[in-house]
Amino acid sequence: MVSNLRPKQEPILEAQNLTMHFHTGGAFSRKTVKAVQGANVRLYPGRVTALVGESGSGKSTIIRMLARLYSPTGGKVLFKGKDVLEDKSRGAMLNYRSKVQMIFQDPFSSLNPVHKVRYHLERPLRIHGKARNRAALNDQIDVLLRRVSLTPTDEFANKYPHQLSGGQRQRVAIARALAVQPEVILADEPVSMLDVSIRMGVLNLMAVLRDEQNIAFLYVTHDIASARYFADDTLVMYAGYIVEGASSEELIQDPKHPYTQLLLSAVPDPARGLKTAEMEVVGEIPSLTSLGAGCPFANRCPKVMERCKQVMPAVTELSPTRWVRCYLYE
Amino acid sequence: MLSVMPKPEVKRAVNPDEPLLSVQDLEVEYHTRRGKVRAVDHVSFDIYPNEVFGLAGESGCGKSTIAHAVTRILHPPAYIVGGKIMMQGIDILQMNDDNLRGFRWEHMSIVFQSAMNALNPVITVGAQIMDAIQAHTDMSKKDARARAKELLNTVGIDPERVDSYPHQLSGGMRQRAVIAIALALNPELIIMDEPTTALDVVVQKQIMKEIRQLKDQFGFSILFITHDLSLLVEFSDRIGIMYAGELVEVAPSRQIFTNPQHPYTYKLMNSFPTVSGPRQKLVGIPGSPPDLITPPTGCRFHPRCDVAIAGRCQEVMPRLAKVGDRHYAACHLVDEKVIHG
Repeated sequence: MVSNLRPKQEPILEAQNLTMHFHTGGAFSRKTVKAVQGANVRLYPGRVTALVGESGSGKSTIIRMLARLYSPTGGKVLFKGKDVLEDKSRGAMLNYRSKVQMIFQDPFSSLNPVHKVRYHLERPLRIHGKARNRAALNDQIDVLLRRVSLTPTDEFANKYPHQLSGGQRQRVAIARALAVQPEVILADEPVSMLDVSIRMGVLNLMAVLRDEQNIAFLYVTHDIASARYFADDTLVMYAGYIVEGASSEELIQDPKHPYTQLLLSAVPDPARGLKTAEMEVVGEIPSLTSLGAGCPFANRCPKVMERCKQVMPAVTELSPTRWVRCYLYE
Repeated sequence: MLSVMPKPEVKRAVNPDEPLLSVQDLEVEYHTRRGKVRAVDHVSFDIYPNEVFGLAGESGCGKSTIAHAVTRILHPPAYIVGGKIMMQGIDILQMNDDNLRGFRWEHMSIVFQSAMNALNPVITVGAQIMDAIQAHTDMSKKDARARAKELLNTVGIDPERVDSYPHQLSGGMRQRAVIAIALALNPELIIMDEPTTALDVVVQKQIMKEIRQLKDQFGFSILFITHDLSLLVEFSDRIGIMYAGELVEVAPSRQIFTNPQHPYTYKLMNSFPTVSGPRQKLVGIPGSPPDLITPPTGCRFHPRCDVAIAGRCQEVMPRLAKVGDRHYAACHLVDEKVIHG
């Protein structure tokens, strides 16, 4: 089974058949929340892959499994072809995190309010042994802040988080992720809490890091328009399943999965005006505790067939760069 | 999804050319330990019958403060220090508590940000709707219950859910229930502050479509506030753009999107990506919104503006001026165009 395909390149980070079931409802309950089911994600150096879905679709669970904050119920995480979940020692964790870093959604809570910017950048540099003495440390902090356009750097290094705007805080979070010279950055809704006018600045900064430092990005978002803008490839998630993957432009221009079509028709878009073909869809996302074996979108899908309710469709490859999980394309 | 409901009797003759709500020179201050913050500075706008008026701007620009001022629910440290808010010839700011109690819900109702939490979790949805009805009318319990069912049906909830508790409803249904309460007494104006922020876009689309149908059916007006510019442009008839407590541009929403006059509006409209049209490089706006304790002199946008006129924009605050049909902008560049062009 494949995800976003880039046949000529080897993925740097890959999730294979990743599954996460959370036990819920107390010790005697047999309820499980099937948050993620059989997810395949491939990240490539110098490419941004977006994971798009509504809240509760499982996209944050996937990013947390990839960051090794959650231990998956099933499946593998391969870094440069090597399974990383087997070795749970502190040394292995540290090594993994020096290659794979994460940026969180809320820059107001991901920085420690009692410490200056300098402290936030010093810690990863020290823990991962990137700077041996004070002078090297100062040099690197200067370089990092310059990298994220927080200049004059001396001034910003000595500020506390509350003295910074949301966009500046998120830039500090990016600088902190860059401190260990990672090859992969996992970004969980990095701009959704920021004002519209500063979002593009942060996305453009990450695009520069992708191009100049060849970093692989996983960009988790609920905003499919920003995925089109920033990501090379886009994966669409619904109720725990990744249902479609394609290059971002292909996906926007010609969505295949009925859910992707619905999502795109529902996104407000003033440029499109009122020309959109309305899709009549009723109902809401199903509860993740009572999912059957069929396609989770079956109860809302305008093109539902009998077998959609029986078994979740397998991956159908439509071209070397796109695939879909839907019986309509078998 | 909507049922046919008997048309409510018209409470009073409505002249479509006369504003329903007129905000005039509104000033609101927050008194903080660091000093006074002028959150809303001499803001004026009108809302006409059956119109959706949208307010847009970045966080802290004062758009929610205006909504709270209009409904008189501002609490210290926020103070209304000047201006008038006229509705049907009466200044809302001069009303006493009794008048206000009668006025709210009957003439103006509110759908809040995170409306999903606006419902009381231990009271059934039906009882909460009946509460609003019985507080304002002499309707019997039986009739109020029938009306509650009717309202649920109107907003697309099965009337049999009248005895459900909020936790038994999905997010979208809770949101609809809150809208049902807002509609209960057929107000002329509904204020919607981020009404669909917590919902997924598919449900958001359904609800916004239904709100529009209800608006046309019952003839109320909406003051619509959201940070989602795409949604705002799509849903509003006219839009006011706010920056740092001031209204910098007002125009029909198509105009705002296709022909913005204020540099801030222009940049804002080019700050968000879309799913249609060509994919283009977007830059956003450099810098960040000002600290309102020490706002910039002159035009508050001038430190972030790349077309500011040296010596003028730093010093003189521009006023809203007419630039087209129902189109106003507060910018010295626009003044120049009007004078010289």
